[in-house]
Amino acid sequence: MSVHSAETKTVRGACPQDCPDTCAFIYHVEDGKLVEVTGDPAHPMTRGGLCVKLKDFAEHHYNPDRILYPMKRAGSKGSGKYERISWDEALSTIKSKWTDIIDQYGSQAIMPHAYLGNQGTANGLTAGDAFFNRLGSTVAEKTYCESGSSTAWVMTVGPTGGLDVESLAYAKYIIVWGMNMVSTNLHAWPFVLEAKSKGAKIVVIDPFKSRTAKQADWHIAIKPGTDAALALGMMNVIIQEGLVDYDYVEKYTLGFEDLKTRAAEFPVERVSEITGIPAADIVKLAREYATTPPAAIREGVAVERSPGGGDAVRAITCLPALIGAWRHVGGGAVEMPIYEFPMSVAHVSRPDWIRPGTRVINELDLGAALTGKMKLDPPIKSVFVYNSNPVSQAPDAGELVRGLQREDLFTVCSELFITDTAKYADILLPSTMQAEQYDIMVTWGHLYIMLNQPAIPAPGECVANIDLFRRLAKTMGFNDDYWDLTDDEWLSLAYDWKSPALEGITLDILKQDGWKRLNVGMPDVRAPHAEGNFKTPSGKCEFKSSMAEGGNMVLDVWRSGYTEMQVGGYVDPVPNYIPPAEVIDSSPTKPARFPLNLLSPKPHAFLNTQYGNEASQMKRQGEQRIMINPSDAAGRSIANGAYVRVFNERGTFEAKADLTDDVGAGLVVTNVGHWPGLNRTGTAVNSTTAPRHANLGQAGVYSDNRVEVERI
Amino acid sequence: MPQIMPHVVTENCRLCLFTDCVEHCPVQCFHADDERSYIDADACIDCGACIPVCPVQAIHEVFEPDEEREILALNAERSHALPVISKKLPPLLSAAARRVELGF
Repeated sequence: MSVHSAETKTVRGACPQDCPDTCAFIYHVEDGKLVEVTGDPAHPMTRGGLCVKLKDFAEHHYNPDRILYPMKRAGSKGSGKYERISWDEALSTIKSKWTDIIDQYGSQAIMPHAYLGNQGTANGLTAGDAFFNRLGSTVAEKTYCESGSSTAWVMTVGPTGGLDVESLAYAKYIIVWGMNMVSTNLHAWPFVLEAKSKGAKIVVIDPFKSRTAKQADWHIAIKPGTDAALALGMMNVIIQEGLVDYDYVEKYTLGFEDLKTRAAEFPVERVSEITGIPAADIVKLAREYATTPPAAIREGVAVERSPGGGDAVRAITCLPALIGAWRHVGGGAVEMPIYEFPMSVAHVSRPDWIRPGTRVINELDLGAALTGKMKLDPPIKSVFVYNSNPVSQAPDAGELVRGLQREDLFTVCSELFITDTAKYADILLPSTMQAEQYDIMVTWGHLYIMLNQPAIPAPGECVANIDLFRRLAKTMGFNDDYWDLTDDEWLSLAYDWKSPALEGITLDILKQDGWKRLNVGMPDVRAPHAEGNFKTPSGKCEFKSSMAEGGNMVLDVWRSGYTEMQVGGYVDPVPNYIPPAEVIDSSPTKPARFPLNLLSPKPHAFLNTQYGNEASQMKRQGEQRIMINPSDAAGRSIANGAYVRVFNERGTFEAKADLTDDVGAGLVVTNVGHWPGLNRTGTAVNSTTAPRHANLGQAGVYSDNRVEVERI
Repeated sequence: MPQIMPHVVTENCRLCLFTDCVEHCPVQCFHADDERSYIDADACIDCGACIPVCPVQAIHEVFEPDEEREILALNAERSHALPVISKKLPPLLSAAARRVELGF
């Protein structure tokens, strides 16, 4: 009898989730098996703890439903029936299909579909950009999240990191605007609590009483899609009452007189009518915000998800300059600090390979693109999906499913599981999970560069995305040196290691330590715009945007580095309030048939759809539920806990009713992320959402959605 | 949406009150009286960061709420009646002996 002694080791990693926290991982491996994933106690954001979503992350790697080998479809599209094939067969099938399509329709008949299912530099959002640009495919515009906000932010303050979320600890007044931080930015919340312990007031602006709103000193319930009106109303009060920092405005802003004229159109009575917020509260909010320095705003992505979402983000982003909040450590606005990371889009996406005149199709329009509604020439004959699950996450899911059912559409999906999208694939390719791959993680919520190192070997025949696209490139006969770069060589070229932000940081150091803070100043002293220094064309905070002249646009990182063929369209140089199209009272031509406004925020225990098929996480999240005000429920004879049908002209899904005053009358709230195929009717909330775009950056309008709810 | 997988503090905490948990809680959901602590399930976000740091394993996730109604009710009732503990406190004088008694 021998005494078995387990061989244990720890490996440093980083969280792959599309979340601003990008936590520092420690992988715990015993006898070659990943047994636990914990947070690094030394990382100033992670602080040793992860979140509910990651509770079973080690086990998730061994989920028996994982796709471990290439497979081909062995049933009808959508049946989910597959049989194992070799990588050689998978690749040769793809080559043969694509070659035929290119011969007959041209390479733009092929379209990739990707998002942030993984947040790596090599394996994430842009993992396939270089390959598809080289192939000459249609350029996919990836605007599921943040594109509207990032266009708005860059138009106003330029590509700047803005306020460090850790600096919130030094604020005296914090407005969390459209974000459920304790569910979706948890590791920044301790900085908010630290500020609160030193006397700061915490205000949460959100249409419903979210978990975060319940923790605030003051929850302001705003009607969905009316944030620009509130911001302009606050400006109106600030200007009328002389609370402007005129010195800051004169030195470091552009277009104050134009903004003043615009704000004058938004007296508090009008704003109260639009937003549903009492006039006295609007005045109080404006006064407190302008007179309690340092004042900080945590801008949530939710603000962009309405027709006027882009201008709402612009208006909110104007506020700190108006009151000189940027002067102070802890003052200003947090949006997305990604611009501080010197990543090379030229290397990662290889836009130089895009052929002139290549068309762009927005991913949120995929359904219409596939069904023929868009009348494309050439039509889309093949779609390649990776890092994304559009059947769950894209609007108007019904239309998309109709498109994916097309017998003449050749669909390839690289995935971890047979998702609601993957079950329409002709070929499935097995992808690695985070503990099995190597990458520098892209971080959009803090200022640390993070390395994820593999802790366990890839199971079966799974490959990381960087390897997948190398294989595809070789298969298609691309002989550029680019495809021969090792992971380290590729990552070395993906960042400008000589830039001041990365001075003293190397890949070798990251391999040792896992993460490093960028050289951008520490949170207790950093005040990036104390003296202007905005990254706009004028160098000032542009209340009147000089970029507006170019029309509506999507930043290059969301469109494979491509800057041509933008959607265009008029953009008001000064932010304005653009009303929602569907929410209550705003559309007299569409009266009471669908009287309730449905919001679909992120789930608590899933990351969008990820972990939505993990038994323990499904138990934690619970089944699909919908929050409804008791007054709305009473009129519909809906009891607490009853199943209801939620529907509009686009589609339907079922959910269990939670009767609660956390939502006001006229508003209903459910979460996105439940797998449609695991729900009661095979559908989820995006069966009802509209495939339209916000006014900037082609963001979706998920919050502009009217439905009816009825007892089943 | 309601809290469905709350975490609770058990009787193991009584006479210890080590409060390492509050140092690791990102949402300040711990409340305490003179003898032990309780979790406010409305504030708890289920991250579980507190579980491994408790020297006497007093915290666990409730996976079957129906089977642990009493402890859930106690945590809810007491946490709502007591102040938040936001900083680690010195353990009770009885903590060392209690820890030995509990076998940790």
